[in-house]
Formats: sequence, C-alpha cells, structure tokens
Amino acid sequence: MRRVELSVVIPVGKRVDDIESLHHDYRRGLDRCGLTYEMIYVLDGDRDEGRRLAELRADGEPIEIVKLGKSFGEATALMVGFANADGARLMTLPAYFQVDSNEFPKLVAAAADADLVVAHRWPRRSGRFEALRRDGFHALLRAITRQSFHDLGCSVRIMSRRVAKEITIYGDQHRLLPVLAAQQGFAVREVEVAQSPQDEFRGRYRLREYVHRLLDLFTVFFLTRFTKKPLRFFGMIGSATFAVGALFVGVLIVQRMLFEMPLADRPALLLSCLLLVLGVQLFALGLLGELIIFTHAKDLKEYKVADVVEARARRREQEDEAGQASRAAGSAEYPDYPRATSG
Amino acid sequence: MSDERTDDAMRPPQPGGRDAREDVELSVIVPLYNEEANVLPLWEAIRSALGPTGVRYEVLLVDDGSSDATFAAAASLPAAHPEVRVVKLRRNYGQTAAMAAGIEHARGRVLVTMDGDLQNDPLDIPRFLATMQEGYDIVVGWRHDRKDKLWTRKVPSRIANALIGKVTGVPIRDNGCSLKAYRSDVIKRIPLYSEMHRFIPAMASLAGPRLAEIKVRHHARRHGSSKYGLSRVYRVLLDLLAVKTIIGFASRPAGWFALLALPALLISTASLGASLYRLLALEQPFSTPIAGIGVLFGALAFFLLMIGMIGELVYKTGDSREDRMSMLTAQRLTGLGVPEAPAAATFDELDPGGRSDEQASGGARVGADSRSARADETPSLAARAALIDEAKEGL
Repeated sequence: MRRVELSVVIPVGKRVDDIESLHHDYRRGLDRCGLTYEMIYVLDGDRDEGRRLAELRADGEPIEIVKLGKSFGEATALMVGFANADGARLMTLPAYFQVDSNEFPKLVAAAADADLVVAHRWPRRSGRFEALRRDGFHALLRAITRQSFHDLGCSVRIMSRRVAKEITIYGDQHRLLPVLAAQQGFAVREVEVAQSPQDEFRGRYRLREYVHRLLDLFTVFFLTRFTKKPLRFFGMIGSATFAVGALFVGVLIVQRMLFEMPLADRPALLLSCLLLVLGVQLFALGLLGELIIFTHAKDLKEYKVADVVEARARRREQEDEAGQASRAAGSAEYPDYPRATSG
Repeated sequence: MSDERTDDAMRPPQPGGRDAREDVELSVIVPLYNEEANVLPLWEAIRSALGPTGVRYEVLLVDDGSSDATFAAAASLPAAHPEVRVVKLRRNYGQTAAMAAGIEHARGRVLVTMDGDLQNDPLDIPRFLATMQEGYDIVVGWRHDRKDKLWTRKVPSRIANALIGKVTGVPIRDNGCSLKAYRSDVIKRIPLYSEMHRFIPAMASLAGPRLAEIKVRHHARRHGSSKYGLSRVYRVLLDLLAVKTIIGFASRPAGWFALLALPALLISTASLGASLYRLLALEQPFSTPIAGIGVLFGALAFFLLMIGMIGELVYKTGDSREDRMSMLTAQRLTGLGVPEAPAAATFDELDPGGRSDEQASGGARVGADSRSARADETPSLAARAALIDEAKEGL
C-alpha cells in the first residue's frame, strides 16, 4: 500500500454539526492541498452520526470509521485515530465548523517546517464576554508556561507523527496538546486562518467548564514544571505554610510569656497549628511523589535526543523510517492504543 | 527487556550487543551548554591526554540544546576523528539530563564524566582509569586546589559538601566536581533525573558500590562564563531531602513516614495529656484549643502513617528498586570452581597491561592483583576486606 501524505482524524463527540455538509466542506478544502490523504472518523461512543458516515462510505467517500466502545473523551478519541492512521503527517479536525476549509492549504504549507501547526481563528466573530473569557485563559496560560497561544480551543492542527507518538493526552487534554508539544521541544507554530462562516457555539459555558479549564491550567503547570521534582512543588508550598504557622505560634508564645495573654483560649492557636499540620502534610505528599518518580524512573526519561552525529553515518530521526517500522510491527508505535479491529 | 519497541532508530547500543565490535574501554562524557569556544580545545586536550595511553576510548559530546554554535563545532569533529560522537538534545534540559543522555549512549566499560568548560583537566583521566582497575565501581574527583571565587563558589560548596555527606552518608569532599568515573553497568542502572548530578555518588550508593576519591587538577575558566550562581541553595536543600528519602528509605517508606510522624505523635500526646490533667487533677474547665491541638496532631501522625502505607505500595509496584540493584555490585568471594560473577569480571578485561605505568595512586593493589590473575582464583576474604578498608581510607 502506498503511504498517504496526510491522515485526517475527526473525533465525533458531543458537539457535532451536520456531518454530511461538514464532510463535503472538509473534502473540498483537502482537495485543494494537492496531496494524498485519508479521513478517519472516530466515534466517541454510540453516536447517531455513525450511520450517516457509513452511508457516506457506501456512497464511495474515502473514509474510515472507528467506533469506541464508550465515550472516552476527545483526547482519547484523537489518540485512537492516530494509532489507526497511516499518513506521514496527521491532521486533526473538529466535528463542527471552526475554520474556513479554504485555509487548509495555508496550514499544510506551514506544516512543512514545523512539528506542529495550530490554527488561530482570526479575525474572530464572538461575543465580548466570550472574548474576555478566552483572553483571560490564554493570559493565565502564558503566565504559567511562558508560552504564547491565542486559540487553543481550535481543534484544527497538523502535526508530524513524532509529535503524536511522544505526546500522550487523555480525557479533556486535547486543548493542551500544543502546550505539551512545545514543552517537549517541538517546533510549534500558530497560523492565523479565517473563521468558518458557520462557526458558532450555541450552548453556553456552565460553571463546570470554567472549573475544568482552571484544572487544565493547573495540570499543565504541574506537568510541565514539576513532573520529575514533586518535592520542589509540594515542598515549596508546604514549607511556606509551615513557616506561616510557626511564625504564628511563635507570636502567640511570646505574647503568653511576656504579656501574660492566655494561650489556651485563643482560636488563633488552633489556626496556626492547623497551618503547621497542613505544611507537614504537603511535604509528606512531596516525599511520596519523589518515591513514585524514583521507583518508576525507568519509564520517565526526561530528555529527547534530536540527533546523533557519528563517524560512520549521520543518523537523524526519520519519521518515515519510524513510520515504516511501525507498520511492519503492527501498532508498535502506539502500544497503548491498539489499532481497531475491523468487523 | 521484552517490551522494547522496534521503531526507535536512535536507540543506544546495548552493552555487549550488536555494537560489541566497537569494544570501547572508556567513554568520556562531556555535557556542553553554550561552550562553542571550548569544544575544540577540549577535544584536543582529551586527545592528547588519552592518545599516549593506548586505551580504546570514545568521547561523547552532549549538546544540551545550546543556542550558540556549540553543536556545529562538535558535529564537525566525528568526520575526522571517529572517536568523537555527538548527541544533540532537542532543547535545553539541564546538566543531569545531558549526562544521563551521554551515559545512555556510551559504549565503554568505564564512563568518565567531565565539565565542558575546561576547568577539569583530561590529564587526570588515566589516573581515574588506573584507580578503577584497582576494583572500584566509582571514582570521584576532588578539586583540592580549586580555582574559583572564594565567597560565591568555594565557601557555599564546602558547606554543601559537608551537609550532603552528613545527610546521605556518602562523605565525598567534592560533590560538585564533574570529573568522575563509573563502572558502566552500575551507572546505567541508576535513575538520574531532575537535578541529580550533584548526588550521583549518593544515588549510586543504593547499589553499594566501592568508592574511591582522588585529587584532581582544577583550572580557572578560560572561555565563556559560569552558568551557576548562589540562587540554587533552596532547591539543593529540597533535592537533598528527596535524595535522602530515596536512598535512606526507598525500601522501607513506612519507616520513614513513621519517623516523621513521631514528633506529631509526641505533641499530640503532650497536649491531650495536658488538657486531661487540667480537667481531672486541677479540676479547671476543659480547654478546647489545647485538646484540639492534640487531636489535630494526632490526626497528622495517623495521616503520615497512612502515607507510609501508600509508599510501601509504590515501592512494591515500582521498577527501580534498591533490592534489585544488589546484583550490580555483588561479588563472589569464595571460589567454588565456578567462574566469578560477571559484574566482577569486567575489570579483568579492561586491564591495559603495561600501559598504566604512571599510576598515581597506588592504594588497594591487593585486590587488583589477585583479581587479574585468573578467574578461578577469586580474591580472598582478607584481600577484599583490605580493599574495602582502603576504600574507606580514601574517603
């Protein structure tokens, strides 16, 4: 089988626009790019769109359909899609209109000299409140990771196989894919593209969404900065808490000794002891984290080698070679995500 | 090793595997970060130091994501000098990761690490090799005549070394000296991550290696600037505590957390006792804050004990376990007609014959002599004991 140049993975989850018109729109855009491609729809659990897609396939549309046994979340659906993809490069598209498909060639061109290209819908039509919310999220992200992104909510990305191979995402983490890739030392580029005229989010964000995004940020903060040094993180917070508690206790004891203020009846004493206890607990968690890292260090290689120069041959990581090897060995590339069985 | 993936073209050679024809005795590992001016002088220095000894060596230059021309300078070497291999990391990961990458790719039976700033002198490397041949697993350098600023470098380092030695129980005078030699089998199995490079001997002590310390020369910096300052103290302290947790208690986490729980338990008992005493003996009104503190610290002690249980679980399910490192340094002291354990045999093959005339340190010859004689004549217990005593004296 000849290798396709681009595998397009489309996870079909909760938010879906009319799949038929979406598919034809994507086809038009992809045809403009002038390369061979395949399209893989990943159904995240039982979805009505499955039947529609099967009909499209019966009509001769070149699509593959993978159905997950239950809803695992968009990130997992993407990983399963990657594991079933044969292309030299991988493209992710949402199951709803986000980016004008006429812009796909621009993204493909940009992907030539980057490991990961993320679309940034600009200019953007959206409510003022939504814009504020989005800017706030990205500003926070920038403060935490020192990486500048503008539109992580956009699911249009093109990446090399290596990125998909090395970055493991799960649950809701698909938005963080570019952040994690940049942290791994990949060249990540943001490309401004026109927004699709049909891109509109009809629902509204519930409080839960905000909480989830904040947790995402926290996760990314922890994962990118402290994966291998949990004690640095917990120890810092823990010793700060402990220090405040100790200071408080010290003040209370001095007051008791010098100013005869009764110690026993003061709730402040309880508060400061609570801080001491919390500090020790955080510290203990950090130590536990260190134990986990140490005992599992074999799986947690920290660095990535870009190139080895030797006298006999200059070996460079060739994603083609890697891809070919992986096809030969089944899905060795994604041992955790076996290829879907047909049936 | 059954779970190896087949897709990685960059996988380092397995010791004794397909690349055995290389048969390198010594790998010199040099992490480089923005050292463009030092690369060529460094290589010349290593070559002129090792060339005359006749040792089959390789030099691994690890470019830790330099932003200057370090990689270009290094990558120009292998074409003319096949001893040089260059490993380029994708971005800047720090010295520990660079060293770990070098160790992973090294093929030699003895690995020597050194700084890329020419403050270490490659002329010391033959002495490291000679000391290794005496039967040691790790030889560390000691910059006894250090050429650095007194107050910002030497004094903090003196304090740090004393503290590290005290806490980890591996009393090395100069943890910060990068010039160290390791037996390849041992160091390749020691997990190195975060900023552990200061604590490699301490981490390696998990495997119970024979350790020696020798004096090395130290030069003032010629090119480039120093990449370290005083600001790292707090982080080093936390890292030290992490290392202590790992090497002291990795195999019995419950004990470690029980130890931490002890003060909390004492406070709890004292304040609960005091409030009961007040209530029963002095017949004063019950004091809620005092009793509350007792309960609070009691809960903390309980919490820590439970964390210890989780620790046991973690250790039991983990891969890098202290007990599994025992085979790295185990040696058979009694000859039963069975060949010596492979771990010990490594150094016999490494004997460069008459090449190391200029051995500077003459200690612990007993073990080396008896070992290099024949495989069925394993060193006697007495000889081993002498060797170990020598090693302790060396510290």
